[in-house]
Amino acid sequence: MKFVSSAEQAVVNKDFGEIWNTKMARNTLLALPIIMVVFLPVMYLVMIFFIPADQMNGVDQMLKLLPPEFKSFTVQQSMFYIMTNVVCPMFFLMIPLMASSVTAACSFVGEKERGTIQTLLLTPLSLKSIFKAKVLGCIILSGISTAISFVVYSIVISIGDIILKMPFFLNWNWLVLVLLLAPAITVFGVIFMVLVSGRSKSYMESFQTSGYIVLPIVLLFVGQFTGLFQLNAIILLMIAVGVILVDLILWFLAARSFTPEKLLK
Amino acid sequence: MFAISAKNLTKSYDGRIFALNDLNLDIPQGGVFGFLGPNGAGKTTTVKLLTGLLKPTKGECCVLDLAPEKNPCEVHRLCGVMTETARMYGQLTGMQNLVFFAQAFGMSKEACNQRGAELLKELDLWDARDKKLSAYSTGMEQRLSLARALINRPQVLFLDEPTSGLDPESSQAVNALITALAKNTGTTVFLCTHQLRYAQDICSNYGIIEKGSLLAAGDLPTLCKNIGLQIKAGFRLTEGDTLEGFTADNGWWQTEVKTEQDMPQLLKKVIESGHDVFEARLVKPTLEDVYFGYVERQGVLQ
Repeated sequence: MKFVSSAEQAVVNKDFGEIWNTKMARNTLLALPIIMVVFLPVMYLVMIFFIPADQMNGVDQMLKLLPPEFKSFTVQQSMFYIMTNVVCPMFFLMIPLMASSVTAACSFVGEKERGTIQTLLLTPLSLKSIFKAKVLGCIILSGISTAISFVVYSIVISIGDIILKMPFFLNWNWLVLVLLLAPAITVFGVIFMVLVSGRSKSYMESFQTSGYIVLPIVLLFVGQFTGLFQLNAIILLMIAVGVILVDLILWFLAARSFTPEKLLK
Repeated sequence: MFAISAKNLTKSYDGRIFALNDLNLDIPQGGVFGFLGPNGAGKTTTVKLLTGLLKPTKGECCVLDLAPEKNPCEVHRLCGVMTETARMYGQLTGMQNLVFFAQAFGMSKEACNQRGAELLKELDLWDARDKKLSAYSTGMEQRLSLARALINRPQVLFLDEPTSGLDPESSQAVNALITALAKNTGTTVFLCTHQLRYAQDICSNYGIIEKGSLLAAGDLPTLCKNIGLQIKAGFRLTEGDTLEGFTADNGWWQTEVKTEQDMPQLLKKVIESGHDVFEARLVKPTLEDVYFGYVERQGVLQ
């Protein structure tokens, strides 16, 4: 049995085209990864390379975040390590979250806004099939965006590692983050948007609502810098499991709310 | 088996006001059924209930013996639906839109292209096949929607105001297509409209709905009979001449007759009684007369 029928495949392909043709969605899918995995790491690398550490504020505070096993690192190496393992993971997580919510906003709310969802509901595709195809389309597109971003990020950071004569950046934290947390967050972004789509009248309105789901990532970011906690592979794994559980509950709720009466309200 | 049947079909969106109230309807297969009523009468709600987009508050309905509420996919497989609110994809071309919807019906790529081309030619959209839908005029968009509704060669076709927004030529072409479809393929057409003149040209049976209630249903002679409308025989006489038992109407002297067969006898009688007859005519009640007759009667009853 095929996982996706030809009719569902047609919906996925149509959604790809529709999302890509929506300027805001396309810009988010392109610009956000460039900023998060190229621009910011490169700027930081340039900064620590050319600006002497004693001329920068807060370096001492930042160095406190360095794990004891890396105390032998130079100031530049330490700062780059903190950037790579404390700051960048949070930047990186914004990519699956924003990519999934913007694609889902375009796919679900956009279709409702343009009045095409009714036409889709009049095809012999079951509600389950439409839901599956649309969610799958958003996950695939966000997944591609996240995967490419990680490859580019790896190249950028590896160049930094070579320049600063540091070991390869990839560790358990990054593996859990890329293989578990990012996919779980992608699904969360899509499903959250499906739930919001019932209440949103326009694509823009729903996209603005997605701003709220960035808050937990910001809190993780702030929490680390205030010394409240230090993210490691175990904590990330626990967060990933938590998000997967939330995904399952939200999936169940979203599938139940995906009815013609609610969609055509 | 009826093409469409409804039993006590009722829908209320808020629990207080009934968009559709106790609709009972049996439409046989084949022919064009005109569902007539003003805006907000409950026509679109009926179509949405019959196609499974809405769940009834009370009652039940069937399309080709299938309950749309329980089996919407099968109903959609056998039916075509064109409503004003069911739009198509603006960033796709006319052809791409049709191919997409054909794929959603599970058709092979080759069959999709073939059926799409066939319909685009039939609806005079072939030259615009590679234009994006966003560049189409309202009339073209409307015709493409009709093509989309026909993509699966439906057994029952629901059309909600298919000619609104169309110029007279396009309206005529669409009406001709609907008539031919019902005649040649045996498709049952459920046509919602408030354009009574077009409806009279193409429909074989009618249902009149107002404020969610079905006022009457049947063919035109039956509807005329039930509301008491009869054929009128009219004569134009010399100016100043009068006919006893006839009523004057805009230079014509008219009286009701039971059937058309009464006319020759009546004409003979008028001439034999010494009147000069310049013109004679039979005036049949139009759908408009029937419609307003029922609406007025309903107003009086309320």
